[in-house]
Amino acid sequence: MNGPTHQAKPRGSAIALCGAVVFAVVVLILVFALPGATSRKYPERTPVRFWHMWTAEWKAVVERIVDRFNESQVLYEVVPLSVPGTAADSKFLLSVAGGDPPDVMAQWNQVIPKWADSGLLIPLNDLMSPEEWKEIQRTTYPAALKIGMYKGNLYGVTTGLDIYACYCRLADLRDAGLDPNQFPETLEELVHWGELLHKFTPEGHLSRIGFLPSGFVTYAPAFGGGFYDWTRGTVLLNTPENLRAMTFLVDQRRKLGFENVIRFESGLTVGLGNVQWPFISGAYSITVDGQWRVEQIARFAPELEYATFPIPPPKGGRKDAGWVNGNFMIIPRGAKQVGGAWQFIKFWSGIENPKRAAEFYAWGGWLPMCPAIAEAPKYREFVEKNPQFKTFLDVLPSENIQPTPPVPYQVYLWDRITRADDAAQRGSLTPQAALERLEKEIDREIATRRQFGYEDETEVKSRT
Amino acid sequence: MRKHWAGYAFISPWLLGFIVFTAVPFLASIYLSFTRYDIVSAPVWVGSANYDRLLRGDPLFWKSLGITFKYAVVAVPVGIIAGVGLALLLNLDIAGISVYRTVFYIPSIVPVVATSVIFVWILNPQIGLVNGLLRRLGATGPAWLQDTRWAFWSLAFMSLWGVGGSMIIYLAGLKDVPAALYEAAIIDGAGAWQRTRHVTLPMMTPVIFFNLVMGVIGSFQYFTEAYIMTQGGPEDSTHFYALYLFNRAWRYLDMGYASAMAWILFVVVMVFTTLIFRTHHRWVHYGD
Repeated sequence: MNGPTHQAKPRGSAIALCGAVVFAVVVLILVFALPGATSRKYPERTPVRFWHMWTAEWKAVVERIVDRFNESQVLYEVVPLSVPGTAADSKFLLSVAGGDPPDVMAQWNQVIPKWADSGLLIPLNDLMSPEEWKEIQRTTYPAALKIGMYKGNLYGVTTGLDIYACYCRLADLRDAGLDPNQFPETLEELVHWGELLHKFTPEGHLSRIGFLPSGFVTYAPAFGGGFYDWTRGTVLLNTPENLRAMTFLVDQRRKLGFENVIRFESGLTVGLGNVQWPFISGAYSITVDGQWRVEQIARFAPELEYATFPIPPPKGGRKDAGWVNGNFMIIPRGAKQVGGAWQFIKFWSGIENPKRAAEFYAWGGWLPMCPAIAEAPKYREFVEKNPQFKTFLDVLPSENIQPTPPVPYQVYLWDRITRADDAAQRGSLTPQAALERLEKEIDREIATRRQFGYEDETEVKSRT
Repeated sequence: MRKHWAGYAFISPWLLGFIVFTAVPFLASIYLSFTRYDIVSAPVWVGSANYDRLLRGDPLFWKSLGITFKYAVVAVPVGIIAGVGLALLLNLDIAGISVYRTVFYIPSIVPVVATSVIFVWILNPQIGLVNGLLRRLGATGPAWLQDTRWAFWSLAFMSLWGVGGSMIIYLAGLKDVPAALYEAAIIDGAGAWQRTRHVTLPMMTPVIFFNLVMGVIGSFQYFTEAYIMTQGGPEDSTHFYALYLFNRAWRYLDMGYASAMAWILFVVVMVFTTLIFRTHHRWVHYGD
């Protein structure tokens, strides 16, 4: 009697279990197979997947440009996706490794040499006719071109440059009896202004920095130095010019006291893109920063009376020199819509129509890639509204502004240069010792890369 | 076997996840540590070159290992002492004790990223809470995270913020100590200190042992706070091993080298864990 009942139970539970497993598998397949929730305005067109790292108000600008592109198209629809900046590089690498990269990506990290060297990026000059490529080389600002180049090929089209210049608070100058209409012409003179503007507490601690030159990468080119010989393709580190630059910077810091400056600077609230910039709060009378601060001042401190002027060279040094970085567009290998991606890059950057693109640069407050955009009516209008922006625009054509050397170990090189600068600025190492250590570290890295069979290591550093 | 298949079917999501996301990468990293690999190109076999380079040609490897070791030596004992001390205090029979327990436990459940960002502010030398309190006492606090002499110690002592997690385990251990032992000790004339020293602490040693092992393993993997708060600076003074490994892997795309670093870390952790296990019979009492 009991026999059939005993057998029916396991069979029933087995059927239920099988049903549950089948259900789980179907749900899993549906989850992965169904398209994502991205809304498409033009579903009939070919999608071009575009990754970028902008957020907040910048994201809105990017989406506005994308909308403009999509309105101008009949074939493609660019679908933008904002990827968090901190994870963007690793997400991109994994997407390429997984065979499903975006079609185009906007970047500003120092990635071109390494990624191009690993065969991750498509040379964009291959997408142009020889005449077109020649024309771009002829008309683009030298710095904008250098940012995107690696070993003779263009891997990134610059859509905005970051240039550095001096910002000064005019009221502070007047209080110190300095002429706000006549800015210093040498770095030494500017340092002297800074000394007149410093303020201290009764205990001798800094309460305001008048001006303190800081940042080895920013100042080395002005001293005739820099980190790369662009004609010979060699990395330059421990050179007399770089030593002179670092020594000058360290000397200024020593005068104020290493400890005193560290304490003052570490107490500042430094925020990119917000009201916490110490210049706005008055912690610095004169400081060096990028062009994006012009818009931030207009937004967060419109009443602030200030002016911008180029970083003056040291006596006998190079004019309009410094470090430059920028935003650029890349197309990964494995992109499914290379044609659409290239159309979009040409549209945004202004390669196709500089006058139209001038408006995009104005929306974002970006420095253009070529003079044709800078001279377009929409961009002129923007500069007239933001006259302090002109300082940065004037520096743009300079051959003396240089990006980080385009070597495959660029990020490592950058990290070690900043560490050497840090050690010297804190007084832990003499400038000479810091540069010697830096050269040793890079020497070791290059030797290791050679040992590991990287065939492209031709850079040799020039020595003191 | 047939009667177990339903069980396996139910745990198959976890099993699959474990095999795909843990076991396979774990085993693959052994192979990758003998290659030159940048994620996107095929790995190129280089033999033991990554290990040679690590052990002989990379001062930052030794420096980061030293910093991490120093952290383990400082943070683990300090964490144990603070955890046991707090647990003893919170085991007292006083009014509102559950409120105190909650207050001390809550910080340990705050995400470490949020904690790190908050501590950047707390340790700000001008407007931070710590230096503000010191100023009230007439002292001038240092630039905690920007001074090479203080950055490491700031992170090491910040680890106490999460001591509530181990404190709860110690508290559970305290509740497990048989009351008869205390009664016997009192009959024998033992005072409060003697009871703590000769009854409580020996009976707590299994829990301390557990926290010691977990603490050592966790310390050698210390990463998030350094990544967020100091990025290894100033002057590499907080360049912890896991941070250097991460930079090698994701900043420099040197995955082969990073895999070799991961395996050396694995060996180091195994050695220390084995050493602790070897000694435990001398000092851990299981009450038998």
